[in-house]
Amino acid sequence: MERFVDLAVSAILLAGLYATMAYGLGLIYGVLRVVNLAHGGVIMAGAYLGWVLHGSLGIDPYLSIPLVVLLSFGLGMAMYRVLVRHLPRGAAGGPASLLLLFGVWLVLRNVAYLLFTGNDQAIRTSYSTRSLLVLGTHVSVNRLAVLVIALVTPALLQLLLRHSHVGRAIRAVAQNADSCTLVGVDVERIYTLTFGIGTALAGLAGLLSATIFSFNPGFGSGELLKSFVVVVLGGLGSVLGTGVAALVLAVVEVFAILVLPSYLTSAVGFVMLVLVLVFRPGGLFGHRVLG
Amino acid sequence: MTPMLQVDAIDVFYGDIQVLYGLSLEVREGEIVTLLGSNGAGKTTTLRAVSGLRPPRAGDIRFRGQSLRDVPAAARCDLGIALVPEGRELWPMLTVRENLELGAYGKRARPSAPRNLERVFALFPRLAERQRQLAGSLSGGEQQMCAIGRALMSEPTLLMLDEPSLGLSPLLVDQVMRTVAELHASGMTILLVEQNLQKALEVAQRGTVIETGRVRLTGSAVELSGNPEIRAAYLGL
Repeated sequence: MERFVDLAVSAILLAGLYATMAYGLGLIYGVLRVVNLAHGGVIMAGAYLGWVLHGSLGIDPYLSIPLVVLLSFGLGMAMYRVLVRHLPRGAAGGPASLLLLFGVWLVLRNVAYLLFTGNDQAIRTSYSTRSLLVLGTHVSVNRLAVLVIALVTPALLQLLLRHSHVGRAIRAVAQNADSCTLVGVDVERIYTLTFGIGTALAGLAGLLSATIFSFNPGFGSGELLKSFVVVVLGGLGSVLGTGVAALVLAVVEVFAILVLPSYLTSAVGFVMLVLVLVFRPGGLFGHRVLG
Repeated sequence: MTPMLQVDAIDVFYGDIQVLYGLSLEVREGEIVTLLGSNGAGKTTTLRAVSGLRPPRAGDIRFRGQSLRDVPAAARCDLGIALVPEGRELWPMLTVRENLELGAYGKRARPSAPRNLERVFALFPRLAERQRQLAGSLSGGEQQMCAIGRALMSEPTLLMLDEPSLGLSPLLVDQVMRTVAELHASGMTILLVEQNLQKALEVAQRGTVIETGRVRLTGSAVELSGNPEIRAAYLGL
């Protein structure tokens, strides 16, 4: 029983992290129809950014969130303005944007190798090892903080998308861009903003991961793949669906430990991905374009 | 007085394919002008050129005397130009109300959005009833109302409608045409593309017939409906 509660708590905490990673990927694909393969690279960059801010400037990783989010937002907007804007979109542009963004990822990764070497790093704070008693099990303060942030982030995202002029415009651009132009929405500006927001979410996810896991410049590839699984499971663009899908993935992965040898548990997510693609290609909850 | 809208010898292309050849057209303030022609003649393309979605490669479009060449498409609704596109082109996964509110996204119209929303609801009470529904769940006629309502939210002075009666029952066609006449009576200038020639010539004052991207005929509605060629070619009389 104790082990069960333990695993359940881990799963929920992990789900928060997965969801945060996936929102950015899903948002960018939903609005721009571009698969952002650089997502993993930005997750890695977010981790190093937090590490540098903590290590050389002594900024607490949680206090550095606004800065990391802002910097990744800027990075995303720059990536869109300089590169992605010029690519063909949709089905025709698939290979071009995949290759280009994969290239961006390689560049980010190699810059990290140059600057930080390939050694594993981690963000260690005074409270890194502290834990609280929740439901009779010890939960690290770090993981709880990550969970809270992972719950607040989608709430803010949902608030932005539902109740602001810009958010409504983002959802509308995902559904019909020409009609947006007709009512005075600068569609290119919305694309830039969306790419910025999606990238900021990746940066945030990287920073949060760095407070829990160790990382090196190769960090982010597993995270990208898990983001894919969550986005496909959750159906595109539904914030709630993404959250639920992240929970499903985390629960299945964590509880697989009980029945599978540990080297197989990371394959569970991909088996799920294949099953969902075969049986429910619109995601677990049907197809919704940022509705 | 300079006309409200002057389309001056425009050439428009889709890729390498030329669709409009030196097409010219005028709409004066307070008029209803209808643009007629068979499928593929270039009616929709003309409206897309004016709205900026498909800028001309040659020629010029002037609105109240000002060339639109350097006015981006997204800035044209602030000048008072609105288009109700062919096939409605709503945002299906947004609610009716969100669709309408986004119609007032432009700087000029945003402050008066609440007032205009009331006006649209007064014009189309059905939309008020369905405001929380997703636009994609509306019937064809309701979607057309929503599309017209969205265009009205930007407080246009020139309203362009692209085949508003397409796919509607005769009863609804009459209702849409009545709405067009009402909007005109309230002072709006209207450029109407319509395949239902008879209906269009009933509400319009002038018409322009285009054929394969060129102007074929221009005249008053009375002249056009009396023209034997038009009667034979488009009215089947």
